[in-house]
Amino acid sequence: MSFSNTEKIENRRGNPIMQRYKTARLFFALLMGLLLSLCTPQQTKAYPEYQSFVEKNSKRSINCAMCHVNESGPVGNGPGQLSSLSEEDMKQLNKARVALEPASGVKSPILNDFGNKIINAVGKRKFLEYKSAPEKLAPALGSESDLDGDGIPDAQEYLDGTDPLNKFHGDPIRLFWINLNRYKTHVILTVLAVISINLGLLNLVKGISSIQKK
Amino acid sequence: MSLNSLLNSAIQFVKDRFPVDKLNYHYMVEKKEVPVHKMSWGYYTGGLTMFFFMIQVITGLFLLFYYQPTVSEANVSVEYINKYVAGGSLVRNMHAWSSSCMIFCAVIHLLTAFAMKSFVKPREITWIAGVLLLFITFTFGFTGYLLPWNQIAVNATKVGLQSIEYIGEYLPGQLAEIPRIIRETFQGEASVGQSTLGRFYALHVVILPLTLVSLLGLHLLSVQIHGMSQGVDVPAKKSEKFMSIFIFKDLSLWAFIFLCLFTVSLCIPFDSFLPYPLLAPYNPLGSTPAGIKPEWYFFFVYYPLELLPFWVILLASMAVVGVLIFTPWIFKGTTRKTLGFITILISIYLIVMTIFGEQIYELFKH
Amino acid sequence: MTNTLLFIVLPYLAVFACAFGSIYRIKKEPMSYSSLSSQFLENHGLLWGSLPWHLGILLILLAHILAFLFPSFWQTLTSNQVLLMAIEAIGFGLSILCLIGLVVLGIRRLTSPRIQAVTTPMDLLVIALLLAQVGLGAAIAVHCKWGSAWCSGTTTPYLWSLVLFQPDLSNIEDLPILVKAHIVCAWFFILIIPFSRLVHLFAVPIEYLFRPPQQVVWNNSRKLNEETPAFAKEETRRHFLNAFLGIGFGAFLLSVGTLSKVFSFFFGPRLSEKEETELMEVRLAHLESTVDQKKLELERQASKYIMVAPITELNPTAGKYFIDYKMQPAIAFKGKDGYPLLISAKCTHLGCTVGNKVDSEGRILCPCHVSYFNIETGQPNAEAPAKTPLGHLPWVIMDEQGKVMASRDNKGQTSCFVQPDALSAGKVYIAKSLEDKTT
Repeated sequence: MSFSNTEKIENRRGNPIMQRYKTARLFFALLMGLLLSLCTPQQTKAYPEYQSFVEKNSKRSINCAMCHVNESGPVGNGPGQLSSLSEEDMKQLNKARVALEPASGVKSPILNDFGNKIINAVGKRKFLEYKSAPEKLAPALGSESDLDGDGIPDAQEYLDGTDPLNKFHGDPIRLFWINLNRYKTHVILTVLAVISINLGLLNLVKGISSIQKK
Repeated sequence: MSLNSLLNSAIQFVKDRFPVDKLNYHYMVEKKEVPVHKMSWGYYTGGLTMFFFMIQVITGLFLLFYYQPTVSEANVSVEYINKYVAGGSLVRNMHAWSSSCMIFCAVIHLLTAFAMKSFVKPREITWIAGVLLLFITFTFGFTGYLLPWNQIAVNATKVGLQSIEYIGEYLPGQLAEIPRIIRETFQGEASVGQSTLGRFYALHVVILPLTLVSLLGLHLLSVQIHGMSQGVDVPAKKSEKFMSIFIFKDLSLWAFIFLCLFTVSLCIPFDSFLPYPLLAPYNPLGSTPAGIKPEWYFFFVYYPLELLPFWVILLASMAVVGVLIFTPWIFKGTTRKTLGFITILISIYLIVMTIFGEQIYELFKH
Repeated sequence: MTNTLLFIVLPYLAVFACAFGSIYRIKKEPMSYSSLSSQFLENHGLLWGSLPWHLGILLILLAHILAFLFPSFWQTLTSNQVLLMAIEAIGFGLSILCLIGLVVLGIRRLTSPRIQAVTTPMDLLVIALLLAQVGLGAAIAVHCKWGSAWCSGTTTPYLWSLVLFQPDLSNIEDLPILVKAHIVCAWFFILIIPFSRLVHLFAVPIEYLFRPPQQVVWNNSRKLNEETPAFAKEETRRHFLNAFLGIGFGAFLLSVGTLSKVFSFFFGPRLSEKEETELMEVRLAHLESTVDQKKLELERQASKYIMVAPITELNPTAGKYFIDYKMQPAIAFKGKDGYPLLISAKCTHLGCTVGNKVDSEGRILCPCHVSYFNIETGQPNAEAPAKTPLGHLPWVIMDEQGKVMASRDNKGQTSCFVQPDALSAGKVYIAKSLEDKTT
């Protein structure tokens, strides 16, 4: 996502600073966006411990979009990044930053649904504690919540390194068993139809061969 | 050899391959027999490939109603199919799974036909048409991969097309420019963009299907004219009628395979095998995400390409294409035993490279 | 009063009579315990009448029994709209099949002279009652829609109340007259079972379905020669019949399953306002990024200079991405000499975008196939798949007024026209004039 999208959103919000740039505005904005969206790892990954744990644990590469709005993390000018937030958003963000205890009901503008879910489920204090042992985050999240409704709990998707907000993304084997159970009527009916067709075909072959024998 | 005799032998060649007196229903359908022996299962692989092609046509037509081939809309329209259209995700998933199955079956079909020595006179045309069909099938895979316009699609296409340009390094003088020109012709512009998407779309939904269907017609026609090849050294004692025993057995296998395909497509989203950052919409201005690789059916050429110098792969693949096309003449005198041995070696290579390619690559590179 | 008579007294009477009558009959006249087959007398009409009739009525009875025995299961089935439609459609179709069969059988009874000889008034009564009963059933299906759904709340509890000897009519009192007639007719049937050939209900030869086909072997050699091919023909016909049934049922099931979905696929989704808004936003974002891309292209077509960054923003280790005149990515660093260092970010191997972080050895990494490029020389490392170096880009530094302070041409020659300290006020640009020479 380039910076320019955000810039337009900001224009809509009437940010007067952005109006000053005329011709070079777009290009400059774009470069800023690129720089900030791709700056040093320490900056982009707000909590790199979690990312490296998930990648090691699941052997899948992931990015910040697991918990953040922006795939490059919270720092930058892109959508859902710090420098593009409106005043209202900043208020929300500050609330979220001090949500040390669970069930605070905050909704941080830089986090996606899963990120906010984490903060609401375990609280910021615990979350910071788990930085040294990221595997503890999964049990703390519990196994009830499944934001995308694909049948794999968010905590498990976190461990698997799959997208907790995409119904069509998850560990293939797990999804297979879950969906098999979910769509069992369809599968059973199809099995029935295919068995019936195959029995019919078998009889047809028998019938034809008994005719041809004569 | 005089011109006249050359002409005569050319006519004779066509006559042998397309005996007009056999071009009738009685000969091509009613009289046709399928031998029954221990390699008989090989006769089903071609039909299975065709079955998957039919699934591709049907699901493809379905997707055509919602897909939009523009860089700004392509990814959104695919998302739309997945998320909102009733049964859309199933149709898309089936298209993806079935494409892989089609390529798998086509390769198996080629290997069994090779091992059973089904390419000797008068079946040369059948074989060559089959080899071309396989290439078209791979091109289908390559062009279809780009259409969802996500990170992996565009970047893998970029990498794939760029390899064409590499050939230029081995060409002298002015010729060195030709691969670049070829690549840009496919691409339609200097880098992969809207023109590329449009071209790939046209190829994928119109040109390739038309070519494939016409070649398939030729392939099937010559299969029906010449009948099933014996496939084994000692002619089989038993055989069954093509019409209507074999064909119904074929149908019953199709029904079973349909069940498997349906279940798998319903239960496992094809995209699940990829890390999710690769499935994000393509971002033309960002850096390339890690883990870009082609579909699994290109692994057998992709990993060697990563490991070995380019010219080795170039020569090897040219040799393979040449051998494949001229197989009916090269292996004319080879026994089935030797052919079987070669087939086993090739299969081992394909299986190992496809399954363990990544590990082999890691082993040598790090 | 009538209700009590018809729906409480009659049922008990019917069941009682049926049970005792049947037992009496089996004790006294065991040989009469049959359907009195007339197959020997007339075969053709029997096939076209008996087969559809029995096929239809068996399945319909099965559904009735299912609804009676497992009301909750039945309720779950019928609460699914598609299934309910399917059940109703199948049920109605089967009842039509039954009616056709009955009509054929009736005509046969009335017209075939050989059958006439063995027909009793009871047989005609049975056929008439059956016609009425099935006709009523079909009429209910048409006039009192979704009977398979509402039966679990009306007739099923009524039947169970009878079974439990606590007759309760409240559930069926208000039912339409059609349904009531259907129920009464059913009790009449049970009543006449022992007095008619319907008694064969209790002697359904189920084991016939599972035993191997048997052949009547005649002692007479002429008969034997005639019968063997006939037997084979019979078997072939059975195969074809099975094939037809199997394929037909399977195809029916598949098409019921797919047709509605195919229709809704093409009908297309009708989005809620929220979904529509979300979709619009995503679409707009994509369009905007395409617009931005086009603007960049246009800018590169039209302008002579394109700004990369103010020189103060450049950094020796974290590069700044920009797009060059060929619409390819490039990265700007601050070189060791203090001048800007602009290097192409398009990997010379297969064209991926190279990363912008300089490692401890002064190299940047292409993530696709692990090539490290030295930013000073552009050279890839020895083991890298990339063989050719990344190119450096020429640049100019200009001040606010557009006066050139320093520049580097495409051969790497740097010229500085001001004091080096003054450069910090300048901004780095790429220039079309310099680029054009390189291509």
